[in-house]
Amino acid sequence: MGTIILMGVALTLLLISFFKNRKKTKKSIMVAKKMLVETVINVTGLLLLISLILTLIPDELIKSLLGNSSMFLSGLYGAMIGTVTIIPAFVAFPLANSMMGSGANLVAIAAFITTLTMVGFVTLPIEIEHFGKKFAFYRNGLSFVLALFIAFGMVIIL
Amino acid sequence: MKKNKKFKIYFVVLILYVIVFFISREKFFEAINSFYLVLKDMIQVLPPVMILSGLISVWVPKEIITKNFGKSSGFKGKLISIFIGSVSAGPIYAAFPLTQTLLYKGASIENTIIILSSWAVMKVPMLIVESKFLGLPFAVSRYLLTLPGILIMAYFANRLLSRKEVLDSIDSLSGRVLEIEEILPGFNCSGCGYSDCSEYAKAIFYENEIASKCVKQKEEVNFKINELLNEE
Repeated sequence: MGTIILMGVALTLLLISFFKNRKKTKKSIMVAKKMLVETVINVTGLLLLISLILTLIPDELIKSLLGNSSMFLSGLYGAMIGTVTIIPAFVAFPLANSMMGSGANLVAIAAFITTLTMVGFVTLPIEIEHFGKKFAFYRNGLSFVLALFIAFGMVIIL
Repeated sequence: MKKNKKFKIYFVVLILYVIVFFISREKFFEAINSFYLVLKDMIQVLPPVMILSGLISVWVPKEIITKNFGKSSGFKGKLISIFIGSVSAGPIYAAFPLTQTLLYKGASIENTIIILSSWAVMKVPMLIVESKFLGLPFAVSRYLLTLPGILIMAYFANRLLSRKEVLDSIDSLSGRVLEIEEILPGFNCSGCGYSDCSEYAKAIFYENEIASKCVKQKEEVNFKINELLNEE
């Protein structure tokens, strides 16, 4: 749904731009094309690698990590798994639900969901390309810490 | 060299997939399937986002970005940043090109972090899906903690990172600064108030400095640089 709106907005603006100034429109398309190609080349390899590694990790291992009796550790494991995982959000929530069903702690799930969306190991190369090393490391580091705070805060609230 | 490194991973991945294929067909297809799901997501979201950032970089003048997202944009700037992030579709990596465009056109580090983070987590459709699978209290309390968390994190990031230093470290932008530097006469006379031509070029590109400060070839430099910047 959101994606369709996004496509609609982009297409409309592109058309307006085209009628106003063809040269500028052509230039913006060139900018977009270059960015797209670079991003796809940068991410696809890592994506394939991570997909394979995650498939090979046994489910039992993940269950035991996220259901750890120490609340701090299970939160930390949840945050780490969320960092290296890359899956669309609409897949993540049913997955998180089934993880909770099989014994994962609330704190682990909260940390997992937050780092999954905010912290990206696979996408680090594109982040570095767009914002430089320092920015990318700081942002991901701070987001990781924030995810832990949010997760432990939720345990207090709920 | 950099290109080779990029393609090396494809070679490694290919070998690993071949090995897994012979050990377990089931795992092989499971991996391909989870790869396919993310790829499908990327293919739908990335092109429109790239087009939008292309259009912004060509059409929207720096002054507007600086006014709305710059360091003196205040509370209003933060609100617009959260709004932009939460109405956009797609995962965080889709936000990188667009946010980079905003950053070099004048947005502050603080607002850049706010846009990226709220793009990643603060979304109404995602809130609905999350509460469906994990319960409304879970989803709502996570959002309530995340919003102030993002603002605090952005505040710290702003203190830890200088905007100039970040922009300097972005390789893909340094080429555009060089284009400006090439127009400058290169006497490094400091007549403009900057230590050398290269510093002045950076100030023009990143900080919206006016292009008429060169004392050696004022008119010519001013004209050519403005032409270059307006053309981009």
